[in-house]
Amino acid sequence: MKLEGKAKMLRIHFGEDDKWKDKPLYRAIVEKCRELDIAGATVFRGIEGYGASTLIHRTHLLSFSHDAPVMVSVIDSDDKIQKLLPFLDEMVDEGLIAMSDVEVIKYSHQDGARSE
Amino acid sequence: MMKAGPAKKVSIYVGQDHQYHGESVYAAILEFLFYHKVSGASVTRGIAGFGADHHMHTDRILVLTENLPIKVEFIETPEKVEELLPKLHEMVGTGLIEIQDTTIVKPSETSKQAARQESTPPLKRQGKAKLMRIFIGENDKWNEKPLHKALIESMRSNDIAGVTVYQGILGYGANRRIHKDSALHLSHDRPMMLSVVDTEERLRAFLPVLDDMVQQGLVVFSDVEIIKYTHNYLEVERRKAVRP
Repeated sequence: MKLEGKAKMLRIHFGEDDKWKDKPLYRAIVEKCRELDIAGATVFRGIEGYGASTLIHRTHLLSFSHDAPVMVSVIDSDDKIQKLLPFLDEMVDEGLIAMSDVEVIKYSHQDGARSE
Repeated sequence: MMKAGPAKKVSIYVGQDHQYHGESVYAAILEFLFYHKVSGASVTRGIAGFGADHHMHTDRILVLTENLPIKVEFIETPEKVEELLPKLHEMVGTGLIEIQDTTIVKPSETSKQAARQESTPPLKRQGKAKLMRIFIGENDKWNEKPLHKALIESMRSNDIAGVTVYQGILGYGANRRIHKDSALHLSHDRPMMLSVVDTEERLRAFLPVLDDMVQQGLVVFSDVEIIKYTHNYLEVERRKAVRP
């Protein structure tokens, strides 16, 4: 896959407990990205935050609730990102989706370089 | 404030047990110097010695003497030394005072002044800059070292303004392989993202190094505007003092 020059970065913010068809939403999004052959997606877990619902998301060490804020960062060309958007619109019930311009400097992989 | 150039070094030799108005002579002298705004003074304790009374001062336990030799030393301008001498003369009792001519090559600085000197930040405090994001895997290595650690070290030595490493919980990239943290396995191959902000020139100058180190991954640039980039030197010093 080639990816160079101008591209778009999507950042999707929501809660770790959010679900899509009984599956963690962040996993569902990553799977959808793979299905659409998007160049890459990464999920980050925050330690505290609040969002559209103004509910504080926080990980509690003692309680078993883990509704930490989660951010999925997706980078690909504009047209690929545009293809993903309708799905996200449907999947992300409560959250924030932001898009920004990025310039790809390097996108590389080594075939079979990883021995696993 | 001391400047580089000629100065006087004063050394005062007393015994640890010597008293001045009910407290140790060295402590009294140190306090005197402190409140007379001498730019600095050090007290050192010898481990053995003898003075005018030809009594051996030693720390050998069997001798059970605590009266070890003490040296109080400070460096000041000749005028300041002149001003302090009469009182020191009175305080030192049986001790000895010595003055040497000396040259200050580099004056010591208070942390505040040092902070002012250091405040040539590698980055303009405000304005346009670039944000570079580097996506790699936690298991990626460079010279047997975790790649993210090697990258941070390399950026520090290349004077890059700052870098933060984020650990993802799930992701995939160029090689289509899912990176995730599996609790049951001892393998942790989580996605990692390094976020670096600096001027475009500096980041572009760093790219050849980066290219050499990152064998697989994604590097993207985006425009950012720097609103604030400061560091509080005094605060850092204070924290160091609390938690050395």
